[in-house]
Amino acid sequence: MKNDAAILPERAKSIRFSECSGDGSGIKCESESVSGAVSQRACVYCGARVVLNPITDAFHIVHGPIGCASYTWDIRGSLSSDEEGYRNSYSTDLRETDVIFGGEKKLVAAVDEVVAMHAPKVIFIYATCIVGVIGDDIDAVCRNAEAKYGIRVIAVKSPGFSGTKKTGYKMACNAIMNLITPEFLPAKTAGVNILGDFNLAGEMWIIKNYLRRIGVEVVANITGDAKVEDLKQAPAAQLNLVQCAGSMTYLAKQMEEVFDIPFIKVSFFGVTDTSDSLMRIAYAVGDKEVIKRAKAFIEEEKNRVTPLLNKYRKNLEGKKAAIYVGGGFKAISLIRQFHEFGMNTVMVGTQTGSKDDYEVIQHLVDEDAVILDDANPAELEAFMKEMGADILVGGVKERPLAYKLGVAFCDHNHERKHPLAGYEGTLNFASEINLSMNSPVWETISQGGMKDV
Amino acid sequence: MSKNLVNLNVNPCKMCMPMGTANAFYGIQKCMNILHGSQGCSTYIRRHMATHYNEPVDIASSSLTEEGTVYGGEKNLIIGLENLIKLYQPEVIGVSTTCLAETIGEDIEYIIKNFYASHPDETVKIIPVKSAGYGGTQFEGFTKALRAIVAHVDMDQTKHDKINIITTMISPADTRYLIDLLDQFGLEYILLPDLSENLDGVHQSSYYRLPMHGTPISEVQKMAGARATIEISDTIKPDESPGVYLYENYGVPYKRLNLPMGLRDTDALIDLLAELSKKTIPEKIAKERGRYLDGMVDSHKYNALGRIAIFGEPDFVVSAVRLCCENGVMPVIAATGSNCPQLKEKIAAELSKLADVLFVDNYVILNDVDFETIEAEALRLGANLMLGNSDGRRIEEKHGIPLIRCAFPIHDRIGGQRVRTLGYEGSQILLDQITNTILKAVEGGFRETLYNTYYNEGPKSKYGLEPETDSPMKVLENPKSTTNTTIMTIEEKTANHPCYSCGSAQKNARMHLPIAPQCNIQCNYCVRKFDCPNESRPGVTTDILSPEAAFEKYKLVKEKVPNLTVVGIAGPGDALANFEETRKTLALIHEDDPNVTFCVSTNGLMLPYYAKELAKLGVSHVTVTVNAVDPAIGAKIYKHVDFMGNRYHGEAGASILLANQLSGIRLLIDEGVIVKINTVTLMGINDTHIEEVVKTVKALGCFISNVMPLIPVKGSAFEGLQIATNHEINAIRDKCGVHLKQMYHCKQCRADAIGKLDSDISLDFRENEAKTAEMVLAAPKGLRFAITSKGGMLVDQHFGQAAELYIYDYLDDEVQFKEKRVISKYCTGAEECDEKEDKIGTILKALTDCDGAITMRIGDLPTKRLESKGIKVFSTYDRIEDAVKTAAQEILKSELSTAGNF
Repeated sequence: MKNDAAILPERAKSIRFSECSGDGSGIKCESESVSGAVSQRACVYCGARVVLNPITDAFHIVHGPIGCASYTWDIRGSLSSDEEGYRNSYSTDLRETDVIFGGEKKLVAAVDEVVAMHAPKVIFIYATCIVGVIGDDIDAVCRNAEAKYGIRVIAVKSPGFSGTKKTGYKMACNAIMNLITPEFLPAKTAGVNILGDFNLAGEMWIIKNYLRRIGVEVVANITGDAKVEDLKQAPAAQLNLVQCAGSMTYLAKQMEEVFDIPFIKVSFFGVTDTSDSLMRIAYAVGDKEVIKRAKAFIEEEKNRVTPLLNKYRKNLEGKKAAIYVGGGFKAISLIRQFHEFGMNTVMVGTQTGSKDDYEVIQHLVDEDAVILDDANPAELEAFMKEMGADILVGGVKERPLAYKLGVAFCDHNHERKHPLAGYEGTLNFASEINLSMNSPVWETISQGGMKDV
Repeated sequence: MSKNLVNLNVNPCKMCMPMGTANAFYGIQKCMNILHGSQGCSTYIRRHMATHYNEPVDIASSSLTEEGTVYGGEKNLIIGLENLIKLYQPEVIGVSTTCLAETIGEDIEYIIKNFYASHPDETVKIIPVKSAGYGGTQFEGFTKALRAIVAHVDMDQTKHDKINIITTMISPADTRYLIDLLDQFGLEYILLPDLSENLDGVHQSSYYRLPMHGTPISEVQKMAGARATIEISDTIKPDESPGVYLYENYGVPYKRLNLPMGLRDTDALIDLLAELSKKTIPEKIAKERGRYLDGMVDSHKYNALGRIAIFGEPDFVVSAVRLCCENGVMPVIAATGSNCPQLKEKIAAELSKLADVLFVDNYVILNDVDFETIEAEALRLGANLMLGNSDGRRIEEKHGIPLIRCAFPIHDRIGGQRVRTLGYEGSQILLDQITNTILKAVEGGFRETLYNTYYNEGPKSKYGLEPETDSPMKVLENPKSTTNTTIMTIEEKTANHPCYSCGSAQKNARMHLPIAPQCNIQCNYCVRKFDCPNESRPGVTTDILSPEAAFEKYKLVKEKVPNLTVVGIAGPGDALANFEETRKTLALIHEDDPNVTFCVSTNGLMLPYYAKELAKLGVSHVTVTVNAVDPAIGAKIYKHVDFMGNRYHGEAGASILLANQLSGIRLLIDEGVIVKINTVTLMGINDTHIEEVVKTVKALGCFISNVMPLIPVKGSAFEGLQIATNHEINAIRDKCGVHLKQMYHCKQCRADAIGKLDSDISLDFRENEAKTAEMVLAAPKGLRFAITSKGGMLVDQHFGQAAELYIYDYLDDEVQFKEKRVISKYCTGAEECDEKEDKIGTILKALTDCDGAITMRIGDLPTKRLESKGIKVFSTYDRIEDAVKTAAQEILKSELSTAGNF
């Protein structure tokens, strides 16, 4: 191994090099981060908040000291077609005395105040790190508030130390089930639910436009641009479409069991995935008219975007991509999209990918590509340099590192301001890759700009 | 804290202590920071710092787990330290605690002692800081880390000639300014901390992940022997101040100063440096001062228009307020999210003095406050610009109050690391930004404001009438207006309007265009998902149209319905809550045919703002729904009213709505617009009050009143309200008819109604979206395949591991997803399925109707069992659709060749 200095012994099993060329079962993943390794992961609370926050008319009270609420205040690009209340950050702002005497009373009063001011339908209460430790019984607070006000007050127990971000997804899925499970199952409609799209840069709207075009009705968006009343209709759907598999497969499975709604996985990243997914949805719905419309729509869209994509392709072909993203679903979609552009993925890693994800990834990339789980900046630096990556796709924290190393960057993260899903999203993606990777600054820098000082 | 919600912080104006410690440790050479707590804390802090500084930020975490939380985190922290040393080889490590570590009672001094004991050769200097997130904000965290550094480093008390400069959190660019200043005075100094390089690095061919610059620990060791300390922060409590610590323990005299922003606070620093260096002030600095003075004079008249809201850390707020006050920019809000009781006494006199000069009655100093309160106060006090970090962006976005971003953190702009505010030059840069923000508003709006206020010769058409076009040139002559159409008078238009004139309802047609999806009030008889029931009766509107699409539809209808005289905008929300769409649509149609009568329905909330513009656009008829002229009654009808970014409930909301309705109606009537008043009869709520409503609007000059029955909407608050009978409605109408003409023929149309009042033909013009009712599954002809897949996208699972099968049909060269089969459902007995050997048997049962099985890998035995049943086996790794195509072709080919053999 060339990169001894960058790799801790405890981390070696989470990395696949060319030399090891393991069989997939070799990658250690879905485990706790190594202390002191400078993981790029966030925490359980973060995972739960990511999934629930896009519900536009729900109120989110973060029970804990101020940091957790401060750092998650309106930082994600989930858009709303109506209510904007979810863009506020409510915190009980626990202080020293609350830690000593308990924060339960403050939480009860906080719920009273939110109810009085905003007449909410649903309040989610997130328990962060210290809440369990100081002994606040948030279940009791929720129970009492529900009885007192006749609204839903749902506890999301997400102390940071209780697992990884993925644990948080699960907590959020449980909260959603809790919210939408009706007393009696409703009659089925012809509509479908969309799971695991968070309406970043309006992507939920794009997907819904597509479904409208092919004649498929959407019952509930889970959770991009969702409203509580619409979510409660979700059990009436005939089919669930699962986009972000990492966060939502757990919910889809529960809905299959409890509401008898089958699910299929879909992806709207890239022309091929989008087209295949639309056809799969059409066939699953089974309506002849829908199938006919889907075919016509795909044909039309392909004809529209293919010439435009071909224009980009000549600038992208043969370049090397590195990927470090949150979940396996996105990583897999990205590898395939790069492939469509004639680009080779030389390094790929995720924060929370599963064994299955890594097995798929291994089949998609070349033998000598590097695969990493829960990587740290030192590893990302070492392998981007070693593999000669031209561009990194990643999160906000990774961006400055890429730039320091002279590597282009694509913001395929929650803060994006332009859609990357669907046909138009694929065009945006190609455009962003091109404009960063082929920017004149790299030429200027490499031709004599860089001097050690 | 928020004033209204004492138990809630809504939109925090502060961060936590470890954020401050992380920033401080970044100013120490070859230093790494590890947070003792759960993983998220370090990641959130890194993300915030990375977007502000545009630099890679590496902060470790001990990644406490459940076990560590219960049994203590010593093991996690020690492994964390070991790993951090291996990866970065730092010379210094700052260990900061978090909420979690402090709450479970971690003794980090003890853990660090144990670390050294078990690593006797380790030379790294470890500095612990107790920084529970709830103990203070990032502001206190920053100084706490600095104090921990001077307290834990082994001091060398040998006297020397250097001075200590200790700062609060300032930008790397401002740090470089400070260094330059000290150099100009020829002073030897120790700067603690020094963020100038580590968080604003140069681009070079080698990247070092360990911060190579900053204050060396060897220099910190000498701070005890310095001849003086200048501490640039005057709001830190003495027991948290590093300068005070050095004085109390080593007798180093100290002086504390405000951040050198503005003339007076920069003077204080410069004078002190001159005194310490025993030099006169260098000419370069004197000139900078003179230029700042000159700049102050140049901009003073513009600055007097500024009503600024300043928020942030206490030191920043104090100095920014002083800079604004000396320039005549009135701070109406001075707010900090930290708890700093002395803030008030430091700035109260300044504020009061300027307020007197400018006749500003109201301003506030807010301590320990959140953004919800700052937002409310900014609106109340009429702030017209803001100064602080980028967390004010929500207020900027919501209320259009411009924000000057000049403090940590800045997430939505680039260059946080290069922000300049210190010294005469930094003050000048900041002042220019303030002045230019004021000037932008003045320069951009004065022509229109003055024209609208004073020009009174002929129709006011200069601003706002034209739909935005790409052409920068104005078309002087509208070719359409040269045709010989005569423009109808408003009386003619009223006579032809089916809603206003009873006779014309029979012969004249109108269309309503559904272009306005949003609403700004919530009526208790309405469910927002559907159309607004006040004017236009529900039924879900088919589609919301864009202005362009609405225009197309108008043209289409006009071709087919020649007696179309009226075009209305009636929702499904409120026309004025969607004013851009309304304006564009009306302009397009007006240009096509100036004789069309426009009719707009609204709840009236935004009328005062758009009444004049509606008249300019050629709107001759406006319907306003007024259900009450008494806020107490209104409060029962309206759940809430959204006005200028705030949501008002109860009487407050009803009062705002009513005041706006009445002043808006008055404006319309002044413009010569015909106004109709709709009133929904709500039995037991406003039925006895309607006459009062009609009297009031009559006095304003309204043309006709339309008293309507309530149409109960399922799911609305008034779902169960008693409905007025026809008889009751007519009785009310008769009573009101004494005061004002009544409309007896209202049909309460849909928002997308087309045609005469009694024949809605809009179905004919809707896109043909009728879905075939039959939901037949694709017929299982052709070939059927079972696929093993983990995700349902790829053939990527071993046959024996499959828990479910994806069934696809191949028909007419097409791959069709059929269903997903859960294998366990095919179990016939528990024993059978529990045994691994029998799993294959169960899988086989699940695919008996298939022609082929496509899987990633499969053993010999199952292959044979499948083939013995006539099921072909394909091993591949591919996208499902592609794999099915390939497999089907193979089967078809082999069938063909088999057939050929016979």
